[in-house]
Amino acid sequence: MISAPMGSLLIQGGRILDPASGLDATGDVLVVDDRVAAIETKGAIRVPSDVPPPERIDAEGRLVCPGLLDIHVHLREPGGEHKESLETGTAAAAAGGFTTVCCMPNTRPALDNPTLVEFVQLKADRLAHSRVFVVAAATVGRQGEQLAPIGSMAASGAVGFSDDGDVVASAGMMLKVLQACRAADRPFMQHCQEPTLSAGGVMNAGPLATRLGLRGWPRLAEELVIERDIRLNRGIGCAYHVQHLSSGGSVALVRAARERGEPVTAEVSPHHLLLTEEACVGYDTNAKMNPPLRASDDIRQLKEGVADGTITVLATDHAPHAVHEKAVDFDSAAFGIVGVECALPLYRRALVDDGVIDWLRMIAMMTIEPARLVGLDRQGLGRLAVGGPADITVVDPELEWTVRADRFHSMGRNCPFHGWTVRGRAVETIVRGRRVWSESLDRS
Amino acid sequence: MHLGTQKNDLLGLDGVDPDTLTALLDAAEARVPMAEGVEPAPATLAGRLVANFFFEDSTRTRCSFAAAAQRLGANVVNLAGEGSSMSKGETLADTARNIAAMGVDTIVMRHAASGAALLVARAVDIPVINAGDGRHEHPTQGLLDILTLRRRLGSIRGRTIGIVGDIANSRVARSALFGLTTLGAKVILVGPPTLVGAAFTRIGAGPAMVRVEHDLDAVLPELDAVMMLRIQLERAAGGAIAADYRQLYGLSPDRMERLPAHALVMHPGPLNRGIEIDSAVADHTSRSVILAQVAMGVAVRMAVLEWALRG
Repeated sequence: MISAPMGSLLIQGGRILDPASGLDATGDVLVVDDRVAAIETKGAIRVPSDVPPPERIDAEGRLVCPGLLDIHVHLREPGGEHKESLETGTAAAAAGGFTTVCCMPNTRPALDNPTLVEFVQLKADRLAHSRVFVVAAATVGRQGEQLAPIGSMAASGAVGFSDDGDVVASAGMMLKVLQACRAADRPFMQHCQEPTLSAGGVMNAGPLATRLGLRGWPRLAEELVIERDIRLNRGIGCAYHVQHLSSGGSVALVRAARERGEPVTAEVSPHHLLLTEEACVGYDTNAKMNPPLRASDDIRQLKEGVADGTITVLATDHAPHAVHEKAVDFDSAAFGIVGVECALPLYRRALVDDGVIDWLRMIAMMTIEPARLVGLDRQGLGRLAVGGPADITVVDPELEWTVRADRFHSMGRNCPFHGWTVRGRAVETIVRGRRVWSESLDRS
Repeated sequence: MHLGTQKNDLLGLDGVDPDTLTALLDAAEARVPMAEGVEPAPATLAGRLVANFFFEDSTRTRCSFAAAAQRLGANVVNLAGEGSSMSKGETLADTARNIAAMGVDTIVMRHAASGAALLVARAVDIPVINAGDGRHEHPTQGLLDILTLRRRLGSIRGRTIGIVGDIANSRVARSALFGLTTLGAKVILVGPPTLVGAAFTRIGAGPAMVRVEHDLDAVLPELDAVMMLRIQLERAAGGAIAADYRQLYGLSPDRMERLPAHALVMHPGPLNRGIEIDSAVADHTSRSVILAQVAMGVAVRMAVLEWALRG
């Protein structure tokens, strides 16, 4: 952990982006203690006499953004400490520019009661590099059979609910979950996978799975759950969020619901925007994810969904696993890949370089949009504003670097992007006014 | 010769070029009299050690490889999944590396997971021969099926071969499909829609060479041979095999009569008599080549072992 004593920081000469206010201008940002004290044109800030001389960060040619949020990460604590910990996972997040992450409840035991929600938050307060908020389980043990204490977990700080890793399969239980989340004023985040259609499925269903002799996980299994849940949610009006969209057909379902004014949102991960099922050839277990990689036409439709605002959130589904959990046959291998450390340049490649959206919108989808979804905008997160929390990510948009999974801060090495040369990187990550990651210091 | 390895691994017939297939078939053909015990075999593999590494039940394939190896003077060690360190949690790659470190010259392996043979082939620097990986491939079965057809029909190119049964879960069907279409035969896959999907027409040589049909009676008159697959209840078709399977797809004597006079009946074994094939068909003296397939299996495995170990 790179740390500086509490004091002040002057970030000079960067292109300041605050999508929430529409700010896009070159200037300086002064941080005093854990707050943004001033945002002015270049050279205009006069540091007050009662503030210690600020540490200076040269941001010429760089983007000065609100701290990035990733609302979909797996930090594996408790119970999966051989894969990742709150400390390593948030060190990875900080290195990727994320000042806030929301961790999923598929731990052992599952995060399905207020005690565990508070355990994670307290341990994160002590050890974490980035801020950690909990997305708690919607049902007891994530078993889909008994409603979890959603109200009391919300009161304990849970920012959303999900049985992620598994779908809430039963329609009857889903209805109860949506009602409880609505009452608690928290979003429900669905892992959309109709279990009987995807049973045993390890990759996209179709000719390639047929050729490889692997069981298919069809698009229909995702789309059917989205259709069902949208129906169930009518008349309830819970904030319903579709996790990790993979199927092009799902985009149309979310788009139609949003056009009807229903509170439906969706997220997309870097791998579903950049990789296709072809990555499974040779049984590369780093191409095994849930939901699976699909085809180029799905990527096209996902990008259309990003371009037209159907998909509002970028989230990585950071899913670290131990080497031995991936160095096995494809059927036995764990699902998922690590995501937070290389997400920013990958999104840039998929979305900005491809002309789908501009930098300002991409940053919005990594800051204010996810912050609003989980209510963290009410704490000022996801914005860069005077008086607000000093969670800031400085991005060098042109920095070229090579993804090296063996050098990740994450304990996970399961990354299909290993060896890719990418452009763009968080060079300073500031949480509560403290530099928790600095690319220049890390290099030396 | 297959994805990602430089050794003479035989992991599947998918992507194997026609010259290589033909060379293996020719070599196997030359070994037939030796496999049948009519001529003595040269001890080309004397002093070599073949590891039979089987994680799924198998009698005939394991014995066939052992017979082939021993005919050529090699010794065979057997390792079964159960009772080995695999059941103590060791990974497949670790176990394979241990076997290789014992000085074994080649690994013949069967495993329930598709891609398991490739995983092992990447873990060790000795050749690996796939004796069946999940639903993926069973290349020596494919070769022995093709050799049987070639000897009986005289040629493969232009022939039409039907494969009937649980295609979705069959490695035998996949290897046969890849090998036959590469050599210019057309393949018609037949079964209920729950067991054979349209995606099969988009693998291998594609729709010009592969058809999917659900009406066996309509297809039979077109065929030069029909390959009946074992209905593999142990590979759990998930409730997809209905009680009318035999009525719709079982090869009864009446159905056999719909085949052209020259057409052959094949089955990779073991037979479910009275389910996918009736005894009167399986034991038919002129049409059934089921035991000939078994004999060809030894010859094919002799040729494959020699190719893997001697190039």
